This record gives sequence, C-alpha cells and structure tokens, in this order.
Amino acid sequence: MNKNNLDQKLRYNDAGNVHMDFHGATNTTIEFIINKYGIETMNDIFKKVGNDVYKDIKDHIKKGNIKMLAKHWQHFFDRENADYNISINDEEIILTVNRCSAYEHVRKLVGNVSPNFCDQTIKTNEALAENTPYEIKTEILGEAACRQTIRKRA
Amino acid sequence: MIPSDHFTRFYNEVFKFLEDQGEEHLEAYWLEISKNQEKHTLELFKEKGLKGMYEYWDHIRIEENCDMDLKLDDEKLELRMNVCPSLSKVLDNDAEPMKRYCDHCAGWIGPLIDKVDHHLVYDVIDRKKPQCVVKIFKDKEKAIEEEKNAKLLMKWPGKK
Repeated sequence: MNKNNLDQKLRYNDAGNVHMDFHGATNTTIEFIINKYGIETMNDIFKKVGNDVYKDIKDHIKKGNIKMLAKHWQHFFDRENADYNISINDEEIILTVNRCSAYEHVRKLVGNVSPNFCDQTIKTNEALAENTPYEIKTEILGEAACRQTIRKRA
Repeated sequence: MIPSDHFTRFYNEVFKFLEDQGEEHLEAYWLEISKNQEKHTLELFKEKGLKGMYEYWDHIRIEENCDMDLKLDDEKLELRMNVCPSLSKVLDNDAEPMKRYCDHCAGWIGPLIDKVDHHLVYDVIDRKKPQCVVKIFKDKEKAIEEEKNAKLLMKWPGKK
C-alpha cells in the first residue's frame, strides 16, 4: 500500500523541527521511575499514555479502524527518519522497524540505553489495544529493531 | 516509541504521578532532569556564561519550534516565550494537563543556573497560558530587584 494513501486526520499532527534529545529525557525518566518506584509504576504510566493521551487512536481501534494507528506510526517514524517498512490491510498492520532512530539517538547521547527503553512501545501498545477487539504484539528483533503487529484477537 | 513530538504529554503523565506522591518526589525528578541536562549545558555555561546560555536557548528555540525572543546584553539574558510549544501540547491533549506543568522548567533550569553562579528570575505569569519571561543575571542584587516585577515567580529546589 502507498504510504500516503491514508486520508484520515491525526489527533496530534506535528510539523516543524524535531527535538530528538527528548528521547534522552525519556530514557532518564524510565531509569528514574523504575529505580525509585519499580517497574509496575513505570508500566502504569505507559498505560495512561496509551489509554488517555492516545484516546483518539484507541477510539478508532475500538470501532475497527486500525488504519489511524498506521497513519500515526508512519507520520512519526517519517518525522524521526527511522528505517521501517509497513504493510497495511483492513485486518492487519505489520510495522517492521529496522533501525529505531529513538533508540539510536539515546545510544549516541548517553552511551547506554535503559534495558526497559522499549517498554514505552510494548506497554503503550498493550494499553492501546486493551478492551478493543484487537491485540498489538511488539516483538523485539534486536537492538533498535522491532516488529509491531495489530490484528483481531483470536 | 513515544515520538519526541509527544514527549511533553508523557512528561505530563509522569508529573501527575509524582505530584500524587508529594512535593519532594517532584523535586527529586526535576533534579534528575537537571543533572541530565548538565551533560550538554554545564561546560558551555561555565565557559561562556550568558553567551553560552544564549547559544543553548537559541538552538532550543529552533529545534523545539518555540515562538521566543532572546535578548542578550552584558548584564543579563532575557528569554521571552510568546508561545511555549511544551505547555501548548500539554493543553492540547486528550489526557488531563497537570495544573502546575510550568513549574518543571524552573525546577530543572534553576539548579543548573545556581551551579554556574548566575541568578535566575523565572516569571511564569499564568500557568494556564503558554508564555513566560525568564531572566538570567550575572549580578544577584539585580536579580532580587527584578523579582519584584514578576507576576508569578517560580521557585526551585534550593530556592524556596
């Protein structure tokens, strides 16, 4: 499918310059929260991001419109110049991230990336799919690489 | 990945959790962010003083798409934020904004400016509006004098 052939308006549609250093602050935050409050607290915060911040995408998923999530992924992975492929159809979307620019930026910035850095993706995805007819599976394929799949629950 | 464009909305969720734990929890986090920011600002600020601070915030002005005026003279650096993209995004949000979102900025900048022996006057004006005026002075007495003009003066860990 043509990457641009998704004629739906994103709730958050950012433009202009990209401040990649925010990923460094995310890494610091993950380490801080886990060290002080534990991993469950960090996961609960990601859950709030999935449920509340991304309420609009979640509402679309509930209604069976998973293409809004595809548009969100494309828009922001393009803005951050990540290397990825996406396959989109009405039933299933598979996003394969070959080189995550967020992960790579943090590695460049601070040297060591938190072992829980990718939880922001895994847990936010889980929350997005919770209480919807869909599941989102996030598989870590290696450093700075993952596959995210949304499809109907079995 | 939470896009860097959406970091401030994630930040907002972290603040709400920490605020529920108590003020000292929020302050500990601001100090951690401040320490993180030291990595790319402390040497610059120590070495070049106000000029180094101007360089840093001029870079931020561009990269974070800020509508901000920067003015540097021999005595002070003045940042006039006309439209803050950070608070603007938090207000344009399906999740509830933290009511004291603006406080984090002085929370991390203040301790850093203290470390380089300059004096911060942070006027948030109104927490519901994405605008503020930040003045950084070389001279402590001039900063104290300027504090009298602030509409909503911010404090930070170490300055109560």
